[in-house]
Amino acid sequence: MTITRRTALAAAAASPLLGIDAVAQPSTPVRGGTLNIAQCSANRRSASPQNARHPYFLVDATTRLPYGCLVWVNRALQLEPELAERWGPADESMAVWDITLRDGLLFHDGTPVTARDVVASFEFHRTRSPFARQIERIEAVDRLTARFFLDAGNAEFPFVLGEYDSVIMPAAPPETIGLSGIGCGPYRIVSTDPNRSIVYERFDRYWRAGLPLLDRITLHNREGQQDSAIAGLRSGQFDVVMTIDPTAARQIGRDQDYVVETGGGGYHYVVQLPQHPGSPFLDKRVRQALAYAVDREAIVRLVYGAQNGWVGNDSHLVAADPNFLPRPALPRAQAVARARALLAEAGHPNGINLGTLYWSPQTPEAGRYFQVLQETVREAGITIALDQRPNDGYVQFRTGDNDFAQGRFHRFAMTAVGPRNPGISLFRMRGANVESGHWRGPEQDRYMALYRQAMATREDAARRAMFHDMQRILHEEVPALLPAGAMTFAVRRRNVQGFAFHPQIWSVRFDEVWRS
Amino acid sequence: MIVLVLRRGALSLVTLFLLATFVFFATEVLPGDALDVSLSADEMAMMPPEVLARRRAELGLDRPVLERYLGFLGGLLNGDLGRTIITRAPVADIVAMPLRNSIALAGVTLLLALPVALAIAMAAAQAKGRALDNAVSGAAIIGYSIPEFVTGLLLIAVFAVWWPVFPATITASTDDPLGVLLAAAPLAIATTIIGSIAYLGRILRVGLIEVMAADFVERLHLSGIPRWRILWLHALPAAMIPGLSAAALYAASLVSGVVVVELVFAYPGIGAELVRAVTRREVHVVQAIALAAAVCVVLFNLLADLGIAALDPRTRRA
Repeated sequence: MTITRRTALAAAAASPLLGIDAVAQPSTPVRGGTLNIAQCSANRRSASPQNARHPYFLVDATTRLPYGCLVWVNRALQLEPELAERWGPADESMAVWDITLRDGLLFHDGTPVTARDVVASFEFHRTRSPFARQIERIEAVDRLTARFFLDAGNAEFPFVLGEYDSVIMPAAPPETIGLSGIGCGPYRIVSTDPNRSIVYERFDRYWRAGLPLLDRITLHNREGQQDSAIAGLRSGQFDVVMTIDPTAARQIGRDQDYVVETGGGGYHYVVQLPQHPGSPFLDKRVRQALAYAVDREAIVRLVYGAQNGWVGNDSHLVAADPNFLPRPALPRAQAVARARALLAEAGHPNGINLGTLYWSPQTPEAGRYFQVLQETVREAGITIALDQRPNDGYVQFRTGDNDFAQGRFHRFAMTAVGPRNPGISLFRMRGANVESGHWRGPEQDRYMALYRQAMATREDAARRAMFHDMQRILHEEVPALLPAGAMTFAVRRRNVQGFAFHPQIWSVRFDEVWRS
Repeated sequence: MIVLVLRRGALSLVTLFLLATFVFFATEVLPGDALDVSLSADEMAMMPPEVLARRRAELGLDRPVLERYLGFLGGLLNGDLGRTIITRAPVADIVAMPLRNSIALAGVTLLLALPVALAIAMAAAQAKGRALDNAVSGAAIIGYSIPEFVTGLLLIAVFAVWWPVFPATITASTDDPLGVLLAAAPLAIATTIIGSIAYLGRILRVGLIEVMAADFVERLHLSGIPRWRILWLHALPAAMIPGLSAAALYAASLVSGVVVVELVFAYPGIGAELVRAVTRREVHVVQAIALAAAVCVVLFNLLADLGIAALDPRTRRA
């Protein structure tokens, strides 16, 4: 048979219908090559040449390249061992946990990873990371076992050990720990260009035998520059673009050269409502009015497309979480009327101006999201001004240092949050946190009492009932607004194999990624 | 010539001193100091006066104006441009490499654009009023009128996506060697060159046409000197004089003025750094970039003056 242009084109056109890739892919992983990644979202503090290798300042999509955590939260949000071989509560209180490391782990400089490094790392984390603050003390039991003493029982404590602010670093004083960029992850840092790019190369003594597969990975920060990132993908410069918005995912998904991956679960935005003296948000009715006024369905429809988004319930849980309890919904006209009535009760019969809502382009669609939010609350007489701030330094800007006595309040501002276990997600609405606006009062006390009770409960169904009660309190109190969320997307070239996106972007792993 | 160089150099130093003074007073003394600018209106409204006073003291804003001014000038002489408000990082470290990169982009643009613009201008001037001249003039107007981001996106679409021969976005690092950086930026360079050729070509064409109509050119014609010789040896140097000044100002504006190109191509230059500094309210970085841009204007003008002096003996005698 003679292969003509016509038959070749016909075969190429037919192959997807037959379930065959136009280019046959080898099934055996191949070692070597470089993977170029562009990242369109950012969750980091400021990076300067002095701190650009520190885990707290990396773009969190690459946390697990140079660093490792004791546990890994998999794509189903279940725990899997990472550096720890086993873990468990030391007693019935679940306030003391023993964690045992794998034997033979090495840092990039060849020194062994021991319990001493775990202790030093968490001595640092427990003063910096909100999730690790429950750790009162840590001690090394033997060369590989560390014991964590918590301020209260916590059945879900191991999830904290998989957070991006929980990586294991070589022991050093708190003021210098982590600055070297040395970890025990699959890739070591070669060079950094703060706020712009970072280059990694394979660590040949990684604990997972035979992995990683690639020689080199480069990450290019393209926050706020999704179009540039996708143009780079199409021109062959990038192999993977992470955190693209649903519209871009839909468009590029039509092209056979690329595969769109979804992280599932998704992420959403918290709008923190500061409840400091003099703030309009001190009045619960104003917060409730805002919760009724925002058209959550419109955000989902206009920003994400109905299939990709979901309506939030003003808790940090994502809709895919089995513990998620939907907020009772009213038809739009009734919701607006209810918002107006609440404002009138609160002494604002002609509406209210809530000042400036600050946002940063943490994801490509953030601008659109807050424009829709701004427009929909206007229907109920609520005026909000929007002000975009850069991602770099945004965390400090948003949170201030919470020194109320000094007048350094946190702001009426947004932040993006990823999906986590309920123990972490619901803990974020504690009173002593900017994301709850420093919510106070008897309902907050009841919320935290339920939380402590739930954390000390082993039985899942009983815990779920308590989580539901907690969400009912949030529906009524609205300490913060979490109107809507969406799935996360990444796009890869078809020749990139072994890549799976993750609902928690800091948990994406590249150990098994290879290029065919 | 030496006297001229010394005189121009001294004048440039005086200009730089005045510029530094202006930048300082414009950003520090006019209503609203560095702290005011770095805080949001809401934050200003909420902060108690004593807290604001303490923050001012931390930033040295409570010192007398003269003391701060002298400190600023002293810092400049030592290469100390202050520290950022948020990270307390040295401003000089933040500005140095992006400034180098922008000067390189401007320099390469000028080096490539000037000869092309000159060739086009000569061809158009020779064919004044004819089809070639009209075509060149029309193309120049179009080239100059199209916004750089449109040109950039068009070039990306054609040469990076449809026919992927050049990179769409620059992945080189800020501190990569200039050769590596510029090799990674062909479309960014092309974008700035297109606008530059259009702008410089128009100016040089007008200059050449004016010179070609001058009396001395007419006399040279009557003396029987060949047309090419008149053009290259007599008309061109005379036409280059206004062209050089325009090119110098244009190159200086390229250093800090190609923000859009830098953002479209992710070129790590001073324009993108300026945008970042403005959005972060980093007054000292903005101050340093404004000063650097002004220094570029002065230096490029100085170079243009020296070039003009080399071409025109009258300026050396003046």
